[in-house]
Amino acid sequence: MSLNLPSQLIQIFDFLFIGFAIAAIGSYIILAIISAIETINYMKKNSFVNYSEILSSSIAPSISIIAPAYNETLNIVENVRSLLSNHYANYDVIIINDGSKDDTLEKLIEAYDLVKVDYLINNQIPTKPLRKGVFKSTNPAFDKLIVVDKENGGKADALNFGLNISTQRYTACIDVDCLLQEDALQKMIKPFLEATDTQVIAAGGVIRIANSCIIKDGKLLEINLPKKRIVRAQILEYLRAFLLGRMAWSKLNGLLVISGAFGLFEKKIALEIGGYDTKTVGEDMEIIVRMRRHMEEKKIKYRVAYIPDPLCWTEAPDNYKIFISQRNRWTRGTIETLRKHRKVGFNPKYHSLGMLSYPYWLIFERLAPIIEVLGLFYFLFLIVTNNVNWEYAIFFIIIAYLFTVLFSIITIITEELTYHQYRKKGMGMQLIKTAFSEPILHHPFVLYAALKGNFDYYFNKSIKWGEMTRKGMTNN
Amino acid sequence: MIEFFQNSIDTFNNTHHIIQLCILLTLLLIAAIIFSLLYLKNLRDRLKIKGRIESTYQKKYASDLIEYLYSADGENINPEQQKKVDYLTKCAQNPLKRKIIIKTFLKLRNEISGETADAIQNLYYQTELIKSASAKLKGKKWDAIARAIKELTQFEIKETHDEIILLINHPKKEVRNEIQKYLVKLFRFDGLEFLDVLESQLSEWDQIQLLEILNKFDNPHIPNLGKWLASENKSVVSFAIKLAKLYNQFNVKDDIINLFEHHDPEIRIQAISVVSHLGIYEAVSILKNNLFNRNLDEQIAFFKMMEDMSTPDEMDFIREFVNHENFYIRISAMKILNLITVDTDNTFRININDTELIIDNVLTKAS
Repeated sequence: MSLNLPSQLIQIFDFLFIGFAIAAIGSYIILAIISAIETINYMKKNSFVNYSEILSSSIAPSISIIAPAYNETLNIVENVRSLLSNHYANYDVIIINDGSKDDTLEKLIEAYDLVKVDYLINNQIPTKPLRKGVFKSTNPAFDKLIVVDKENGGKADALNFGLNISTQRYTACIDVDCLLQEDALQKMIKPFLEATDTQVIAAGGVIRIANSCIIKDGKLLEINLPKKRIVRAQILEYLRAFLLGRMAWSKLNGLLVISGAFGLFEKKIALEIGGYDTKTVGEDMEIIVRMRRHMEEKKIKYRVAYIPDPLCWTEAPDNYKIFISQRNRWTRGTIETLRKHRKVGFNPKYHSLGMLSYPYWLIFERLAPIIEVLGLFYFLFLIVTNNVNWEYAIFFIIIAYLFTVLFSIITIITEELTYHQYRKKGMGMQLIKTAFSEPILHHPFVLYAALKGNFDYYFNKSIKWGEMTRKGMTNN
Repeated sequence: MIEFFQNSIDTFNNTHHIIQLCILLTLLLIAAIIFSLLYLKNLRDRLKIKGRIESTYQKKYASDLIEYLYSADGENINPEQQKKVDYLTKCAQNPLKRKIIIKTFLKLRNEISGETADAIQNLYYQTELIKSASAKLKGKKWDAIARAIKELTQFEIKETHDEIILLINHPKKEVRNEIQKYLVKLFRFDGLEFLDVLESQLSEWDQIQLLEILNKFDNPHIPNLGKWLASENKSVVSFAIKLAKLYNQFNVKDDIINLFEHHDPEIRIQAISVVSHLGIYEAVSILKNNLFNRNLDEQIAFFKMMEDMSTPDEMDFIREFVNHENFYIRISAMKILNLITVDTDNTFRININDTELIIDNVLTKAS
């Protein structure tokens, strides 16, 4: 079938898609360069820091680690032990059992000698009520532990309860199944304490994937690369995002998201804005945007900090069903947040938040999968109507593929130059193989999940959080 | 083969400019990928070897150092020792080897004490390592300066004091921080002299570090804090308040009271918070008189302070705040009136039966 489309129309579409591709590639390169420079600077500056000097200090600011738990019976005891083994001097651990249907609470009561106590709670943010109450340990070894049993209200509601009950100045919100490095709190608190002319409102660190790593007694003993391609691909994705993206956004003071797996907040600001939004599935991104918006509107100089050190290890989905469900939720979270705060977008009143971060997220995160699929449909349409210039098309695909591979290899090099975590023999080769296969074998699933997220957001409102089946990271 | 290349070049020349550009870009990307892969391979190999080289040299220098230390037979350096000194001086010309030598010296110095530790410090002079560290102080690279100061601190070289103090207002905070640590580690409380001339802000992080270093010294001789409590530099005032609290400086009562009117609210809060610790009873009436002109955080700090400072005369005043809208003021008022007992874990007991109504109305409890 041959259809003579107006050549001007084809040219317009060609320029649109090629223009988007060039803009995306250009932005990745710019962000990567800024990230690399910033990471080198960070490493240089950090070589003078002695974290042990802060470790034992009784005047180091207090931190509450808030960890919501829902049906975590499998690993809860070990996970809490890991949280309690942090090296920081002045912190407590608040576990919010968010209406678990299993015996999560009973396991905790038994393992940590918990008893019910009368506890003062400042109900500044409305949340679901308590179910069985607040528990503390009779064993002095666990005096840092507070366990709350409340009715189910979702992750955001549980975190809000944690904000209400915490009496510390800073709150670290984490996923209970995450493995924190022992020095994670010292590293995370540093930007807050270092700032003299700006207020640091939140800080995030690098999340790394712990599948196949050897963990014992809440400590990471050995880093391994998992055998499953899907997990390796995610390792590469995480490295790209954290090493060659977020550091640049931190430098530009444009960070819009701190991973829900581990983030540290100035509690006062988090309370002032009303805590986490319980109506979104992307509460980790939404709270950062709202905190930033709040600071911009109050005209206070502020910063969202980012630590490039690997501080937190988490279990990534190891099958495509769960992976798609997780990415679907991330997509819906992004859409919800950007829609909710659309007033900020392209608004010079919000400075870099309105003129840089929001537009970038809208175009290169929110719209990118849609534009990519439209491009594919357009390409199919051109094939069907016999309007493809095959020479151009083939080169376009080859160049896009080669750029993606090159970008991933540069990410691996950056990892080697900075943290050199995958040091076992053969790991380099496995990561390179993943760099070559990921754009073909993994990316289609990422695209599908993003599209499904868009579809579910507009046409399937009843979907909330997907289920994440934990295999457990301990004693692998 | 030549014909193939010739044909390829001809084909390339005859294609459209955009296609030519695409071909060049493709070749460029392929070349970049190959180069990156080779670099990555080389890098991983180097990183593996580097560790081994460092460990080998460290063992070698440790054995040289031990030989040097144990071949001593008097106060003067003998030929055997001189040979070691010459060898180590020569090795120290290489930056990597210098780094390993310093690391080895420090490791051993931290493990031993007395004369042997002094001998290592002497060796630091004899091998002219001190000269290169001092020379770096005049350099332009901030990281080299900071590293040099760190090294001089670790070897406890006091004679570079005059040179180092000149850099106290260096634009890079890492350099300033190393200088502060140098002064406090080597000159203890006398090292705090830098607070007189510090133009930049001393961050909370820096303050905690310095206090932790000072905390390790016995028999502290605290300088007069008055001038620092009146400093124009807000962070110096904050640091001085912490010093006053930690070292129970009861003689600064008047200076603390003056800070209740400081232009910075954080300093005012800090000053109020230290009142009960230093037992400044005259401060209570001063603060009470203008309590409502103070911001909420200052009011919370006031009631927190009153938990330790209130007397029966103030009970009527305190009672007015039992229903205050702020949670922390409410709790403090109830604690002062002894309606509740709150322990350090924030768990609480109701002390009087007839206060149940108050508890239900104004206090959220978890039971």
